[in-house]
Amino acid sequence: MKARFNKNIRKLHFGGLDMENIITKLEDGRIQIKLNKSVYEKEAIMAAAYKLTNSCFIIVKPLENNQLGVYFEPKNNQSEDELKAIAKDYCNEVLDQQTRLDVEKRYGNIRDLLVKQAFSPIENIKDKINI
Amino acid sequence: MRPYQLLPFRFHDFKNENMLLVNEVGEFLFSSKEEFNNMISYKLDPESETFLDLKSKQILTDTEIEPVIKMLATKYRTKKSFLYNFTTLHMVVPTLRCNSKCKYCQVSSKSEEAFKYDMDKSTAKRTVDLIFLSPSPNIKIEFQGGEPLLSFEIVKYIIEYAEQCNLTKKKQLEFVICTNLTLITEEMLKYLQNHKVYISTSLDGTMALHNNNRPFRNGQGSYDIVTKNIKKVREYLGEDSVSALMTATNDSLEYFTEIVDEYLVQGFSAIFMRSLNPYGSAKRDMYSLGYRVEDFIESYKRAFKHIVNINLNGTFFVECYASLLLGKILTPFSAGFVDLQSPSGVAICGVIYNHDGNVYVSDEARMLANDGDTTFSMGNVNENTYQELFHSDKIVSLLKKSCLECLPICSHCVFQSYCGVDPIRNYAEQGEVVGNRMMSTVCKINMAIFQCLFELIKENDKPTMDVLWSWITRKPIVVGKQVSHESN
Repeated sequence: MKARFNKNIRKLHFGGLDMENIITKLEDGRIQIKLNKSVYEKEAIMAAAYKLTNSCFIIVKPLENNQLGVYFEPKNNQSEDELKAIAKDYCNEVLDQQTRLDVEKRYGNIRDLLVKQAFSPIENIKDKINI
Repeated sequence: MRPYQLLPFRFHDFKNENMLLVNEVGEFLFSSKEEFNNMISYKLDPESETFLDLKSKQILTDTEIEPVIKMLATKYRTKKSFLYNFTTLHMVVPTLRCNSKCKYCQVSSKSEEAFKYDMDKSTAKRTVDLIFLSPSPNIKIEFQGGEPLLSFEIVKYIIEYAEQCNLTKKKQLEFVICTNLTLITEEMLKYLQNHKVYISTSLDGTMALHNNNRPFRNGQGSYDIVTKNIKKVREYLGEDSVSALMTATNDSLEYFTEIVDEYLVQGFSAIFMRSLNPYGSAKRDMYSLGYRVEDFIESYKRAFKHIVNINLNGTFFVECYASLLLGKILTPFSAGFVDLQSPSGVAICGVIYNHDGNVYVSDEARMLANDGDTTFSMGNVNENTYQELFHSDKIVSLLKKSCLECLPICSHCVFQSYCGVDPIRNYAEQGEVVGNRMMSTVCKINMAIFQCLFELIKENDKPTMDVLWSWITRKPIVVGKQVSHESN
């Protein structure tokens, strides 16, 4: 099974966008997306996958060269084009999820502090702000 | 050194290149994608209108952070104020017997002769004693069924004993009877008048729909007697003493506007457009009674537009669910509605005492129990103390799993501040209390209604906004008169 994952049969081109080496169709009909771990965090990759679990089966596996493979398998008898569309949606979703994570980091611990302060006043909040 | 500090907010790719931004306490703002990208890249001009709008909505700040955190914390506390009072709504089932045989009966009611499903006096007394141990200064006792009027002596006993307990407890005490109204007599009405009891009934729409959905056990329709008795209730208890709920079956969907019109004909000024809940007969017969959630949403939107137009034409009429959501979106307050709370309102806001003394975390939990699944039983009034019932590990665990802030997808959802969670519904639909949001019918309905309401807010058509505000304030608009308010 693992051997088949690594046999890229052909490259796919979506809407004029060259997704070479990112999205490929495998022999067994599944779609594979390769994501670089230095660009996307595991949390974003998993959150995006979770959001599409109603549409298809999704498997996430580590690959070589600091990459992660995301594999899409039809769940509701989707056609190849429909599965491709889901994979494209995934690309947007993982970008969206990564943006959320990046924005969240900029708050530091402000969210935690305001929730704590709401129910039990904190002494010297200023000293506890970590941004 | 950053020129400003971003504060906690959630965002959503809204529509037509716009972003919706909502901060931790529900204050919101629309921005273009370009402005959004500039904002998160710290490229906003501090003199720009966008910057000042974002600052005023506390989505960013360029001043000292400590006072901003304190202000947001105060607003957060207001939004979560329902947590302070603990359980306010206490539902009591005086009997599971019922003279109706509704197609979708969610409580698995019993025949009129099945007296073993009546609450006995000692259980009723112990129930009231427990209710008054709640720390809440407001207590609402709501009689559910079966049909409570079939066991009116127990209803009277509970009302009178609660009033007696309240002489020393001095809480804000309120009574509601949820009844099909078919058995109400003048004698009962006089009693309810003397004890200031409100009535909540069911009206599924036009005569044909109501008779189809809610027949008597002998198969005859109940529409004529229900509508006649609604008028009688108003004569005795006052115009605003009776409200009604509708439940949408497959047969109802194409008649949503007619259902609204029927409510108007019957003198109601509000309707709650409810989808079918998957319990009891509704679950068993989902194949014939149910529908796709997308079809419900379509019907809801059609009815919603119809209701707005009714208001614009001068008749005050509220869609209750939209009104609850709008209150959460446009005001700093919580809705006081258990299904729109995080953590969930199960047990800590509402609880139900069944005829046999068994206590459940919500009416839906009781519905599951009536079908043999007692997963959400809290204990029994005759066997357990208040502490054992309300402070158990089971309740704490359930609440921990019902915080939107921690649930997958909900934790990042732009509508989180306005939404709620129903772990019992998740369990009923998906077999576990957290559930997968993408498969949740409640989530799909809520998302669609939020989107619809925010589109109207974004459009900001003055007359329509006046209507939406009138639902929140419960003050009818005067057609042609400009109402002064600021929408976000």
